[in-house]
Amino acid sequence: MFPKKSPKVTIDYTKCGEKGQVDPRECAKCLKVCDPAIFILHESPNMPIDPVDPKYWRITPVWLSLCNMCMKCVKVCPLGAISVSR
Amino acid sequence: MNAKNYSNELAEAINAREYLQEQWKAFEMVYIRRIMGITSIDLGYKLQLPIIGRLLRWSAERMIHSEGKHRNPVRADGHFGQVIPLEEAKIILGNLAAEPIIENYCMCRWMQRGIKEACCINFGLLSGVIEKLPRFIPKDTKYRLDRDEAIAHIEEHNKKGYVATVWFQPVPYINAICSCENPECGGLRLRNDFGLHTVYKGEYVAEVDPDRCQACGICVTKCQFGVLRLVQSLKRVIVDINKCFGCGVCRHACKYDAIKLAPRDNYPALRGVY
Ligand code: SF4
Ligand code: SF4
Ligand code: SF4
Ligand code: SF4
Ligand code: SF4
Repeated sequence: MFPKKSPKVTIDYTKCGEKGQVDPRECAKCLKVCDPAIFILHESPNMPIDPVDPKYWRITPVWLSLCNMCMKCVKVCPLGAISVSR
Repeated sequence: MNAKNYSNELAEAINAREYLQEQWKAFEMVYIRRIMGITSIDLGYKLQLPIIGRLLRWSAERMIHSEGKHRNPVRADGHFGQVIPLEEAKIILGNLAAEPIIENYCMCRWMQRGIKEACCINFGLLSGVIEKLPRFIPKDTKYRLDRDEAIAHIEEHNKKGYVATVWFQPVPYINAICSCENPECGGLRLRNDFGLHTVYKGEYVAEVDPDRCQACGICVTKCQFGVLRLVQSLKRVIVDINKCFGCGVCRHACKYDAIKLAPRDNYPALRGVY
């Protein structure tokens, strides 16, 4: 018996993230719109780590099992960078 | 309360500085990093997998309470908290907390909501570690607090409805009093949504005096854990003590002084259940 699969939530990092057009710290709309707060903002692991004052950030959808597929993040994202599917 | 658990000597003896520096310089990575080859991404699914789920839960609980010499700061070993009422938070800040006391930006609200709010009060050695990390230090407000200021601030946060928590980092060294919201607080999130004991309930539970309660319902909106319910036919609020964390923030909302905190131990069913 395997548990129910969580929804798949992905962010297109070519649009939002360390190499995208938007710094997620400035926008942060998806972080605020999601009632169960499934996203985590963190420094990008793909760039040289600056432990004192990190410059490169991205968002990872972490608590996927809590996503209720309300699609509010998809609608709020100004870049259309988020997709949510089963 | 044991003053030794707050002292800087204890911190030095258990190598807390090194632990804290490692943990704090990349704090936002705590859920992203691999722990035993597995990250927290989709933890809900992983914890339900028949065998690996049980193993993960066991090792997570073991890490959270680790007192070992080889605990690993980047996994937050030995880092857990307990909910406390405002009165106890004031005693800690007024008498026991090691100086300097600072109030920095809450990392949980930053990571989970992109919000910078100065409401995390840290003391002693940890203050010195955090002060070197500009992203956690408020720019326009005074962040070093004297004891009276710290007490005034914790009171303000608590009355707003934030839950006071005291943190071991690493156990048995106590060095922070936080003002948390659910589910923004990572500790409360792991406890409430995934059943891990990152935060213990407080030593108390809420009790409503049926003669005083005027059924206004305001306290219900203050509880972050869905403990209180207004029963219209009874004309009073009832308490689900099994869910109550004993934070006491509901009390501040009651104009009729109808809510008190009672020791958890008064209820046989709750004895030893935190
Ligand atoms: S679909 Fe809704 S619940 Fe899921 S991540 Fe987006 S906002 Fe959050
Ligand atoms: S809403 Fe879109 S652009 Fe804004 S932070 Fe989230 S993913 Fe990035
Ligand atoms: S424990 Fe509470 S106050 Fe401290 S960082 Fe987390 S949510 Fe913020
Ligand atoms: S705030 Fe006080 S009077 Fe109002 S419902 Fe709650 S306990 Fe009753
Ligand atoms: S009912 Fe319990 S958990 Fe809820 S606010 Fe009151 S003391 Fe805190």
